Amino acid sequence: MEDLIKKRIKQVLKGDQSAFEEIVSLYQNRLYQVCYRMLGNSHEAEDITQEAFIRAYINLHTFDQKRKFSTWLYRIATNLCIDRIRKKKPDAFLDAPVPGTEGLDHYSSIAHDSPLPEEEVERMELQDRVQYEIGRLPDKYRSAIVLRYIEELPLQEISEILELPLGTVKTRIHRGREALRKQMKTL
Amino acid sequence: MKPCPEDIVRYMHDYLDGEITRRDEQILKEHLEKCPECQQHMDGLSRSVAFLKSAAPIEAPEGLASGIMASLPKERQGAGVRR
Repeated sequence: MEDLIKKRIKQVLKGDQSAFEEIVSLYQNRLYQVCYRMLGNSHEAEDITQEAFIRAYINLHTFDQKRKFSTWLYRIATNLCIDRIRKKKPDAFLDAPVPGTEGLDHYSSIAHDSPLPEEEVERMELQDRVQYEIGRLPDKYRSAIVLRYIEELPLQEISEILELPLGTVKTRIHRGREALRKQMKTL
Repeated sequence: MKPCPEDIVRYMHDYLDGEITRRDEQILKEHLEKCPECQQHMDGLSRSVAFLKSAAPIEAPEGLASGIMASLPKERQGAGVRR
């Protein structure tokens, strides 16, 4: 698969735009899924997926062909998602500590809309509940958790996608699991 | 009651990452057998992971690929056009 992709990349770089279509069809589901899980909204996910592919196309000459293409593509998409999430937040008090949140700053605790009443959460269908709980994770942890458990990527690859040391990725996944465990006490 | 060894929670996560040493796994196992609170913590973490894994795969909406192809800039910058 990587060989086929590299062949298509060379064709695109030579000016054959249509060769990019195969790249899009091979990766669109994975990229869309990451964006959807990160953003929790199909319209935004579509928007960002499209933007990610266009950026990949424009910057294709900067891709190091000795590396894995999907890692590079995931990096473009997760960076765009993280930017989009940040833009949606009010920019006041971002770094102010919030009492009783054990070191989470305001930045992470407003990652999503305010929590819903418990009865409402309990009535949710499983798939809605999965998305709701992922959306409540602080975004620092959310990207690592989505790449680990939705995309099922190895820790090393997640560290390359997020451009973070392996130890930091592990810490984020550990904290993400702890956060989820606390959120799910009612399940 | 003796406080739980401070590394126990870290061992739980190492275990879930599939990166626990045999020695640490033995310590974890023995501790969980006699500590219901840590066992409950471990169960909560395992349930969270199972919950995430129950997420159904999501497919890109129809027409996304053609939409992308239609939005690409007409010619690549710096690409040689030889026809």
